[in-house]
Amino acid sequence: MKFIISLIAFFLFTTSYVEAKSETVLTRDSSALVENQVTLDTAKQNAKRSMRSPAELFKSCARCHSIGRGKLIGPDLAGVSARHSGEWLIKFIQASDSLIASGDTAAKRLYEENEKLPMPRHDYSNDEAKSLIDYIFFETRKLEADPNFLDNDFSFAHPSNTWPFIIGVLFILFGIIDWAFLKLIRFKFIHIILILAGLAISGKAVTEEAIYMGRSQGFEPDQPIKFSHRIHAGDNEIDCQYCHTGSMESRNSSIPPASLCLNCHNVIRNGPNTGEVEINKIHEAFESGVPIEWVRVHSLPDYVFFSHAQHVNVGKVECKECHGEVEKMGRIQQVSDLSMGWCIDCHRTQKVQFDNEYYLSYKQHEDILSGKISEVTVEEIGGLNCQKCHY
Amino acid sequence: MKKYWRSIEEFEEDSKIEKLPEPEFPIEGLAEYEINKSGTTSRRDFLKMLGFGIGFVTFAASCENPINKAIPYLIKPENIIPGNANYYASTFFGGNDYCSVIVKTLEGRPIKIEGNELSSITAGGTNARVQASVLSLYDSFRIKTPLKNKQESTWEEVDADIIGKLDEIAKKGGKIVILSSSVISPSTQSIFEDFNRKYPTAEVIYYDSVSASGIIEANKKNFGQPYLPSYNFDKARLIVSFGADFLGNWLSPIEYTKQYSKNRKVSKTNPDMSRHVQFESTLTLTGSNADYRIPINPSQEAGTILNLYNRIAQKAGKAAITAPESTVNVDSLANELWAAKGKSLVVSGSNDVNIQLVVNDMNYLLGNYGKTINMNRPVYTKQGIDGQMDNLTKRMEKGEVEALLMYNVNPAYDYQNAEAFTDALTKTQLSISFSDTLNETAKLAGYVCPDCHYLESWNDAQPKRGVYSLTQPTINKLFDTRQAQESLLIWSATGGTTEAGENKVENLVEEDAYYAYIKKQWRSNLFPKQLKYAVFSEFWNHTLQAGVFTVSSVADMITRSNYPYVAVYSAANIADCVLKLKSPKAGERAIEFSLYESIGIGDGRQANNPWLQELPDPVSKVCWDNYLAISKTFADKNRLSLGDIVIVNDIFELPVLIQAGQADNTVSIALGYGRSSAGKVADGVGQNAFRLVQSKGTRLYSGNDIKLVPTGSNYILALTQTHHTLHGRDHVRTAMLKDYKENPSAGNEAHLIAEEKKQSMYSEREFKGHRWALAIDLNLCTGCSACVIACQAENNVAVIGRDEVRKKRIMHWIRIDRYYAEKAEDPDVYFQPIMCQQCDNAPCENVCPVSATQNSKEGLNDMIYNRCIGTRYCMNNCPYRVRRFNWYEYANNDKFDYNMNSSLGKMVLNPDVVVRTRGVAEKCSFCVQRIQEKKLGAKMENRELMDGEIKPACLQSCPADAIVFGDRNMPGSEVSKAFANERNYFLLEEVNTRPSVGYLTKIRNTESKKNET
Repeated sequence: MKFIISLIAFFLFTTSYVEAKSETVLTRDSSALVENQVTLDTAKQNAKRSMRSPAELFKSCARCHSIGRGKLIGPDLAGVSARHSGEWLIKFIQASDSLIASGDTAAKRLYEENEKLPMPRHDYSNDEAKSLIDYIFFETRKLEADPNFLDNDFSFAHPSNTWPFIIGVLFILFGIIDWAFLKLIRFKFIHIILILAGLAISGKAVTEEAIYMGRSQGFEPDQPIKFSHRIHAGDNEIDCQYCHTGSMESRNSSIPPASLCLNCHNVIRNGPNTGEVEINKIHEAFESGVPIEWVRVHSLPDYVFFSHAQHVNVGKVECKECHGEVEKMGRIQQVSDLSMGWCIDCHRTQKVQFDNEYYLSYKQHEDILSGKISEVTVEEIGGLNCQKCHY
Repeated sequence: MKKYWRSIEEFEEDSKIEKLPEPEFPIEGLAEYEINKSGTTSRRDFLKMLGFGIGFVTFAASCENPINKAIPYLIKPENIIPGNANYYASTFFGGNDYCSVIVKTLEGRPIKIEGNELSSITAGGTNARVQASVLSLYDSFRIKTPLKNKQESTWEEVDADIIGKLDEIAKKGGKIVILSSSVISPSTQSIFEDFNRKYPTAEVIYYDSVSASGIIEANKKNFGQPYLPSYNFDKARLIVSFGADFLGNWLSPIEYTKQYSKNRKVSKTNPDMSRHVQFESTLTLTGSNADYRIPINPSQEAGTILNLYNRIAQKAGKAAITAPESTVNVDSLANELWAAKGKSLVVSGSNDVNIQLVVNDMNYLLGNYGKTINMNRPVYTKQGIDGQMDNLTKRMEKGEVEALLMYNVNPAYDYQNAEAFTDALTKTQLSISFSDTLNETAKLAGYVCPDCHYLESWNDAQPKRGVYSLTQPTINKLFDTRQAQESLLIWSATGGTTEAGENKVENLVEEDAYYAYIKKQWRSNLFPKQLKYAVFSEFWNHTLQAGVFTVSSVADMITRSNYPYVAVYSAANIADCVLKLKSPKAGERAIEFSLYESIGIGDGRQANNPWLQELPDPVSKVCWDNYLAISKTFADKNRLSLGDIVIVNDIFELPVLIQAGQADNTVSIALGYGRSSAGKVADGVGQNAFRLVQSKGTRLYSGNDIKLVPTGSNYILALTQTHHTLHGRDHVRTAMLKDYKENPSAGNEAHLIAEEKKQSMYSEREFKGHRWALAIDLNLCTGCSACVIACQAENNVAVIGRDEVRKKRIMHWIRIDRYYAEKAEDPDVYFQPIMCQQCDNAPCENVCPVSATQNSKEGLNDMIYNRCIGTRYCMNNCPYRVRRFNWYEYANNDKFDYNMNSSLGKMVLNPDVVVRTRGVAEKCSFCVQRIQEKKLGAKMENRELMDGEIKPACLQSCPADAIVFGDRNMPGSEVSKAFANERNYFLLEEVNTRPSVGYLTKIRNTESKKNET
């Protein structure tokens, strides 16, 4: 699988390297822009040697231009690359006066519109100018970006029981106080009904709270990097196991190492929503040697043994059966409550992949062959035994 | 039925009156002081606690869940999959124990040691000390930086100082001595040579705390080779041992246990086994396994050997020599030996050269050389010549030694004349210790250049001629330590005048200097001696992966294996030996003593290992102390009883243990205890018996001038065998070989009766998938206790300390029960490993009020810690007494200052197994984590499980291959074969618990009950 992906990636790169930095390729095909380290790294190094960073270059522009904050001396540069071709922009940056002199209409118009103040020449190389244009492009996109891109339009957190509890307690209190002092209600059975109803409501609230105590369904913490599964797994359709490599072979599906992020983010330095800031955190971690401390979302107690390999590889359970529709999540959220009851419920009904030759020695195998039974649930091979998970 | 008993005290009691023993759980399991303490709880205290409890729970419930961090690798190492273990081949060597091992590492930290099955020497076996060595890595007492005059220093400073001083000493021709324990690493020896080339006044002296100098010197006289021979216990049909504890401590116990058990495996198709006769004063592990064991005092040893020699010499047509009268009649033994010519083996544990010369001659006359003894595969694990060390001390006293480099030695503790040595040490100008802990000797050294633990080191080993293995690091260095070899490389390569050695090593002094050095050595020395690989890197990588390499080049075999033995052997003058052997004078009744190494502690180098300290000695079942073992007669005569404190030679006090089978007039003391600077666990535990070692040319570990003065006070030893009750039942079943040959179920008649009567009020359980079961061959189990430590390491079993063991609270999931039978002076000894029997009708399950223990679909008895509320009903109802209770929080508790209360010590914990909390019961799980792991592996590979694929920790560690584990439902599996064996029986089968653990009867190769040979 990986091999095919890398082949495709290599092909894409060799044919479309020139456009590799343009936005369309990045968003549509970044799932395919996988491992092409050699070409990329050398290209990057060559570029790096001679180039100044676009942010550095822009400091000079910023004297006269803003991005998205309106006209200063020169026009607002937001969306400038949509208004002009890249080639034209490079020429204009390098020497606007000669472009105007050459009789270019667009250049002349700009000259007229801006009180005939010519833009000074810049000694930027073609590559530098190109990177500057890219920079302005991404800075523009930041303006358009969704500031709430991490938010989910669903929550699996259980509803709070605070109000039912308070209402229940109020019922009880009112019942008792009225019975003893106020005596607004004549019939005592109404008091009793009130108190019982109060007990029932608050009792239900307390029970539910108690059940959810220690569980973290709906847990959705902020992470050190504003990472969106929606963009990676959803929009770009990256396979879960591309990053969570352990899920097929180990108990841990494991959070990918920073080096794996860089497989793509060596090239993709700008995100649509956060620009360079968040992606740079990976590079910073990589360069400083300080690993990224993610906040753990799905966490089982130490006394539970759970193996991803058993479930994903052997049991052929889909990731989303436990983790929900991750591809629709901005911030990752815990969907299942991960309680023992939830595990057991599944073990009671889940069918075992009985065509695995491992089960040849099981007596149920003969029953299947003879047609006595058609399937075997996890429970029937000991899936409810305590030491399946606790040891 | 035989009468079985567990201690002298019980033996005595039983003969007087049938008395119920003290209950296992005295008054609700509380000790006396705890009862007194708890008696003061009043109603008001209770209400206070109740109020606080409710308040606290409410508070706790309102708290947010803690935020856990998940920190992935920055760059994931290619071979590491988080959550999956990696295994690396390596080599352990320390004292007696050479062992080729496999190290299990998880996320870069070693957590378990297994035997390497590819090794031709240890073949997958381990022992308790090898198993425990992984914990020594995480010893907080290890030195963390180099030390200069006990002050923390840096390597640069220490190196500059030492090189300066060495050069200065070398310039004026001062003597430099490397004092080292036996070195089996060819590369290290080569580094010594390099050092010598750089400093020509340097010399290497080998010193072993427990030496084999006697054998080495005898072999030098007989063969011209100062080495130990290879013994082949597997080729011997008759083994006669004079005090050599070859299954426990003598020379290479793991190897010998492997060989020994090969010859002790009886079956219907092969109903023969070796016969083993043991003469000894201390009841050792080896003596316990012998078919005939004759207790003799050390002074009788020479006489017995000489008489045996005379009988054999007569048969061989040689003239008899004058020998002192033997107290033991050895005629029939001599006949048997003569009949088993070439298939017998006589060994002696004595360190007296003359005795070893006689033994050598006896083996020569019996034609054993080339058959059961192989001088062409010399063993290098002991090289120390005692005289050299004595000589060194004298030279140091005279100030003739300017610099002393001490590698792997601790003479300030284990030299018989430690004071003389420490005084002499002050007369050296430069003293350097490479010790990794600040032990008794390192404390006195001017410079301490801490060596790495073997799990952090590169090394090679040649335990036997032509048999090599490699040590590789399995973890980054925990502290700022450096391998001694690397230090020597640095010192001999830089500074000073140019020497021949310099060019050779100058390029190597960098990060992994010693690694490069070993590779270079192997490239030039061993790579040409093999034909399999054409490229060195391939040879190196394969050898490193396998861990072992045996020279098999055709040339080597031709030149060596046809070496004529007889021509090489030159007999010593036996009559001369006799003169030198001091024969006991008639009527001399001075008290004799015998010193031995215990199974756990050995010579004391790993004494700071809490697992080993808490390992009950397999024979005496005492842990956390050494003691004075005395015989019943001796105790009666001197009115001593268990725990009475006696002053020994005015040096130290020791409690007394009345040991069945102890030679009458001899007291025995274990070496290795009484460390004063070993670390928090070992300091002050027991007394240092090395001080009693006598030096008469060689170091003698027995003698006859011991003075004992009772003090009248008493001490409570931490004894584990009497923790449980026997009620006169026969837990071990035994038969004589000749009876077994006639009737395979001899001795196991009770099993047939139980099978006949078998009926149950429960319906028969059906096992549709697997049905796990384990069988133990009591005939192979030597009681060595490797399994106990292996289990402890695998299952995070807590160490609880001496006081708690005294309260019968030891936590081991597998214990070795030891039973005596017959006479107190000379008992039959039986070992029986007991773990949870995983009963089908488990009595523990019915009584649990919260269903915290249940039967699984695969025949296991599941224990669920987080459901357990600690009623201990299960423990009371378990007839096998295998359940353990967590009386305290043993982890994270500074009152149990062993290894589970520091982040360093906790690194050894197995993440697959829960660390149990206070108030829950626990027990053996058949290593369910290993079962699950292998099951998953098979499923992932889409195949059926193979028989023998799953190895519980106890089975994997066993050097005798006494344990088999597998699926009873699998036709033809080893365990189902064992269960079908006529020798198989279940413990307490009459109570119908239907255990999943079977025991195979013990067979003794005796002719009749207890006769003198």
